[in-house]
Amino acid sequence: MARRRVPRWLAANLLLLPAGFWLAVFLLVPLALVVEYSFATRDTGPLRVVLPWTTRAYRTALDPAFLPIFGRTLTYAGLTALACLLLGFPLAWFIARHAGRFRTALLAAVLVPFWASYLARIYAWKALLDGEGLVNRLLGLVGLDRDGGFLLTDGAVILGLTYGFLPFMVLPLYVACERFDYRLVEASYDLGHGRVSTFFRVVLPGVWPGVLAGSLLVLVPAAGDFVTPKLLGGVDQSTFGSVIDDQFRGGNNWPLGSAMAVLLLLLVVVVLMLRGRRGEDVL
Amino acid sequence: MARKDGTVRIARLWDTDSRRLTRRSMLRSMAFFALAAQGATACAISEAPPRNASGATNTKASNNVAENRLNFFNWTDYIAKDTIPGFEKESGIGVTYDNFSSNDELEAKIATGAPGYDLVVPSDNFLRRFVRTNLVRPLDHDLLPNLKNLERRFREADYDPGNRFSVPWAWGTTGLAYSRSQLGTEVTGFDAYDLPAARGRSIVLDEARDGMGLGLLALGYDPNTKDAQQIEEATRYLLDLKKKIGQITSDVVEPLTSGQTPLAQVYSGDAFQAKDTNPDLEYVIPEEGGLTYVDLLCVPATAPHAENAHRFIDYILRPDVGAELANTIRYGSANTAAKPMIDKELLDNPMVYPPADVLAKLPFTKDLGPDVEARYADAWTKVKTG
Repeated sequence: MARRRVPRWLAANLLLLPAGFWLAVFLLVPLALVVEYSFATRDTGPLRVVLPWTTRAYRTALDPAFLPIFGRTLTYAGLTALACLLLGFPLAWFIARHAGRFRTALLAAVLVPFWASYLARIYAWKALLDGEGLVNRLLGLVGLDRDGGFLLTDGAVILGLTYGFLPFMVLPLYVACERFDYRLVEASYDLGHGRVSTFFRVVLPGVWPGVLAGSLLVLVPAAGDFVTPKLLGGVDQSTFGSVIDDQFRGGNNWPLGSAMAVLLLLLVVVVLMLRGRRGEDVL
Repeated sequence: MARKDGTVRIARLWDTDSRRLTRRSMLRSMAFFALAAQGATACAISEAPPRNASGATNTKASNNVAENRLNFFNWTDYIAKDTIPGFEKESGIGVTYDNFSSNDELEAKIATGAPGYDLVVPSDNFLRRFVRTNLVRPLDHDLLPNLKNLERRFREADYDPGNRFSVPWAWGTTGLAYSRSQLGTEVTGFDAYDLPAARGRSIVLDEARDGMGLGLLALGYDPNTKDAQQIEEATRYLLDLKKKIGQITSDVVEPLTSGQTPLAQVYSGDAFQAKDTNPDLEYVIPEEGGLTYVDLLCVPATAPHAENAHRFIDYILRPDVGAELANTIRYGSANTAAKPMIDKELLDNPMVYPPADVLAKLPFTKDLGPDVEARYADAWTKVKTG
């Protein structure tokens, strides 16, 4: 008896099922809930969100009072991505080009801090940046210390974010550097370019997809992070993420928190769309 | 080719080269799943429940499950050594004792249908919320003959007049903790936030009613005011104060003990805990006043052993048991009958048991109703983001 074949279209969809299920449960349902909550009415009791539907949360979230926070969040994320790039590129280049047999070990070393809880590591930074902390005392030796330490400053937040997201930059850059054809550099020298113009006109374009990928991978989570600004920042370091966190916990305003989360998401989507055509190869 | 080689693929949702699985079919599937997800969540939001509908007439408490058990959910390090063994021995009821470390944690547990807890200890601000949404059941006063031992102030308290839903476990005050050596002076009121040594390093509690309360008290207003104008003024005062302080956070014990912050608005219990490790710290009730907070025993609406919970509450209200509890945790006791057995040194400590004239400036945090409470929450968001 001939085995009946499953129709093509059905087979394709059946194969999609596990991935589709995963997407639905872990991405779409939570996302749909957030969008749904953002249009609901706030309840001050434990129900948090009730009917009727309203756009009030969006009107509040788009209040000009939140603009500085919006700007601060983007500044933090941008500077973090830049700092990660400046630190990560030499490291990735070195590991990919010159580390030889230590390559794997060095890459692992980049990842090892990830094994410890992020919270614990940020608390460690708290102790380091404190007025009596190591950083301030060492800087004190050369007269660069600051009264009260560097905790609760913009710098502390950017430092914490850079520290936390650096591996996201190093890994894609490493892949890009590793694949980069070094003969192009030799050719560039042969054709009369100096070191600087070789870097900008040959190396950088060659590894650009890695730069873009790394920057996006850092930019996006850094824009949403709330733990770092809460722990390392003070009263003037609240970011979009920390305000969202406030609305879900103390502020008890889930619709507003959801609306802000949706706005942040849209912002990230816009950034992703601006990544340009070369970026499309990347993510 | 260099360009293709240089391409880094971190993640790809679909492969454009494959014919079978086109971008369009993928998008179609995704749209389908999105719709399905929407359908699955559509029932998540309901109409607002009737407010204050907790006028249940039947307060008679009995066990839904006939067994000698009691599931008690309390704060960490907040009980005397013999409290539970003593109860077990007398009543023959076995107690399961679990701990939480924040009101949020407790609320998360009991709002999702209370996993079998018979007795929980929220702070008064959370009790008001629980009552508003029927998460706790009215107490059966017939089973609580020792209720008469309570101090009058706690029988008529604004958060739960007549102890309809709760009985105090312990109480404390919201004031200021400071490091005498760092500030170099005694602190008497909120003007301490202006001290040069405190600038940029001090802390205000991240809790809408306590934080707004600080602003209202500093301006000489009632911290339980419903007046929109006064709340607005307090918001402006706090926005101004924000320029001088370091952080708005409820995480105060660690920065105080490490000496990182020299001045913080605190709950007295946290202040004494920090003082245990850092003797340099002092706690003071500001001359402008403060708030009294109370941690309260109450019975979740879904408690399987409500009758046993009542027996435990009545046991705690006994003078000897209440005194032992107060002597161990070193918080204020609301039990008048227990007073003679409480350590003299503790009773004489004005920071634990403030004298009458100070107590007059330490009201309870009143339940101001959903609308005014929301106004406070929004004002607080303004303070934090402004």
